[in-house]
Amino acid sequence: MLKVENLDKTFRTGAGDVHAVQNVSFEAKDGEVVAILGASGSGKSTLLSLLGLLDAPDRGSIDIDGTQLANLDSAGRTKYRSSQVGFVFQQFNLIPNLNARENVKLALEFAHWPKDDRDARANELLSMVGLDASKADRRPAKLSGGEQQRVAIARAFAAQPHLILADEPTGSLDKATGQKIVDLLREVANTQRATVLVVTHDEKIAKQADRRFEIEDGTLKEIA
Amino acid sequence: MRAVGVVVILAVAIALSISMLIARDAVTSKINTVKASTGNTITVSPKGFFGFNGGGTPLKASAIDALLSIKDVTAVQESLSEELTSSKTSLTSPTPAGQLGSQFGFGGSNNSSGGGFGGLSSGTTFTIPVRVIGTNSPGNALVGGANGGGTEKLTSGTSFSPTSTSDVAIVGSTLASTNKLTVGSTFTAWGTKITVVGIFNASSTFTDSSVLMPLATVQKLADSSGEVTSATVVVNSVNNVAAVDKAVTKKLGSVADVTSTQATTEAALAPLNSVKTISTYTLIGSVIGAAIILLLSMLMIVRERRREVGVLKALGAPNKTIIGQFISESTTFTILGAVVGLVVGILISSPITSALVSASGGSTSTNTGGFVRRTGGAGFTGGGSGFTPPTGGFAARTGGNFHFGGVTNTLTQLHTSASWSTLAFALIAAVVIAAVGSTVAAGTITRIRPAEVLRSE
Repeated sequence: MLKVENLDKTFRTGAGDVHAVQNVSFEAKDGEVVAILGASGSGKSTLLSLLGLLDAPDRGSIDIDGTQLANLDSAGRTKYRSSQVGFVFQQFNLIPNLNARENVKLALEFAHWPKDDRDARANELLSMVGLDASKADRRPAKLSGGEQQRVAIARAFAAQPHLILADEPTGSLDKATGQKIVDLLREVANTQRATVLVVTHDEKIAKQADRRFEIEDGTLKEIA
Repeated sequence: MRAVGVVVILAVAIALSISMLIARDAVTSKINTVKASTGNTITVSPKGFFGFNGGGTPLKASAIDALLSIKDVTAVQESLSEELTSSKTSLTSPTPAGQLGSQFGFGGSNNSSGGGFGGLSSGTTFTIPVRVIGTNSPGNALVGGANGGGTEKLTSGTSFSPTSTSDVAIVGSTLASTNKLTVGSTFTAWGTKITVVGIFNASSTFTDSSVLMPLATVQKLADSSGEVTSATVVVNSVNNVAAVDKAVTKKLGSVADVTSTQATTEAALAPLNSVKTISTYTLIGSVIGAAIILLLSMLMIVRERRREVGVLKALGAPNKTIIGQFISESTTFTILGAVVGLVVGILISSPITSALVSASGGSTSTNTGGFVRRTGGAGFTGGGSGFTPPTGGFAARTGGNFHFGGVTNTLTQLHTSASWSTLAFALIAAVVIAAVGSTVAAGTITRIRPAEVLRSE
C-alpha cells in the first residue's frame, strides 16, 4: 500500500523557482496499476524521482506498508531503492557490458539476494517476461527494443519490490510491442502483488490502468 | 579500443619512468664506484716539496696531529721519508740506475760525500739510494700515493707498533732478497744496527725496495725530531673528501700542499651527475604524467558512463560498490600498463642510458683517477726499467706531488639492470597512479545524482 501526502518539490533556477511537484497526495493498493498522464515538463518524472527516493521532497510524506520513507538517511534510501522499488525506464538503461541474465542478477546482488539463488531467480524472471532462454546470455546491444524492455521489467521485479516506477516504458517501442509490455507489467504486478505507477503521455496506455491521474504544473488530480 | 589506448599510454609512461629509474641507478652506481675507487684519503706534503729533488720544509708533526680534530677525519697517517745512500747504510738498493737514472743522474752518488741531487759529474757512477719510510701506521704506510700506494702485506715475521721507538724494520721483499735479509737479520742505518722483524710485499718493485721503520725511530736516527714529510688523512666517506680537503688546506695554511683526487673525480663525473639529475626529473615527470593520464582517462570514462552510474544508484547500488567497480577498472588498466611498461622499460633502458650519457657530454673513456698534478713538479726516480705504477696510487718520487690514481673508468660503460627495488618502484608507482586515478573517479561518482541523470532522459 502506497500512501503519499502533501508532497512538494521546488527547483531553484536562474529564471526563478520551478514548482515541479505541488501538494501531491494519493494512495495506491498492492497489485494496482496506476497511470500518471502529463505533458513534458509537467512534473511527472520529478514525482517518480521523489517516490523512488532518487530525490528528497521539500515537504510531505511517503508511506509504503506503514514505513515512512521521507526521513530515511542516505544509506536507508539506498537500501529502500534496492529492495522496495523497481525502475523501468523509457531507454531501458540496461548495463551494456552485462548480458540479460547478469543485468537481472545485478538487482538481486544490490538487494542482497542469496548468491546461490540468483541464477535461478534471474532465469525464472526472464522466462516470466517471455525472453527466450537462448537470449539470456546476450548483451543488450544484441537484443531488440522490446526484448531489452522485457529484461528491464525482469530486473525491476527481481527483488520482489512493493513499488514499480515505470517512466514512459513504451516510449521507445512500436505500438504492438508497447502493448505487450503494458500487458506484461500488469501481469507481473498481479503475480508479484506490487503497485505499478506508469508515467505516460499515451492515452491508450493510460486507459488500461486501474486508476488514472493527470499532472499539470506539478499538481496531480485523478481522472475518470 | 579506449581501454587499449589507455593501457598503451600508461605503458609508455611507465616504461619511460622505469627506464629513467634504471638509468639513474646505473649512473648512481657508476658514480659511487668511481668515487670509491678514488679513495677516501687526502695526501699532505710540505709546500713545494719535490721529493729529494729539493724544495719544501718538513711539516711539524704537531700540526699534522691537529688534523684529527677536523670533522669526518678518522685517522692521520704520518710518515717521514729518507733516502739512505751507501755511506749511511749497509743495504744495497735492488734497483739498477738504468738508462734514465744515468741520464738524469739524480738519486745520490757513491762517490760523493753527501749523495747530492745535482747530477753526476762525468765519469762517476752512482747507485739508487734505499728509501726508508718512518711511519706511525704500519700496515697502511703505503696508502695515499705519497709513499707509493698499495698495501704492504707481511710475508714473514711481524710488524711494529705505531708508537714503537725500537730500532726495528720491516723490509720490502725485493730489498730483502737483494741483501739476503730474513727475519732476525740486521743491517745498519745512520750507523745504528737495525733488526729486521718482518718482510713485506706490496706487489711493486718500487715499493718492495723500501724499508719501513717506526716513525719515532726514523725521526731520532735522521735527526728530524717532530718532523714529517708526508701525511695521509683518512676521511670517513668519499663524499666528505672535498670538504675535509678544504678544511685541511685552511688549517695548514701555506706550509703544505694538500692533494686529493676528489676535485678531478667530481669534474669527470659532472656529465654523469647531469644524467642523474635529468633521469630523476624525467622519472618524477613520467610518474606524474602517468597519474594524470589515468586521472583524465578515468574522468572521461566516468563522464561517459554517467548515465550507467545513475542507473546503478537508482537500482540501489551503494557508492562504495560503484566506486569499487571503477577502482577495479583503473587498477586493471594500471597493472596492464605497468607490466607492459616494465618489460618495455627494461628493454629500452640500456640504449636510453647510453643516449643520455652521450648527449650530456660524457666522454667515451675517461681516466677519472687522473694524473693529478698540484704544486710541485714532475720527476722520475731513475731505474733500469723505469717504473711500474702500483694499483691504487703512485707517487713518482717519495714525498712528491704526483698522484696517479690508477683508476681508469670508462664512464659510458654503464651496467643497466632491473633490481628488485626497480620492480618494487614499478609496483609502488602503479599503486600511486591507480590511487590517484581512482580517487578522482570516486569523487566524481559520489557527486552523480541519479535523479539528474534520469531527468535528462
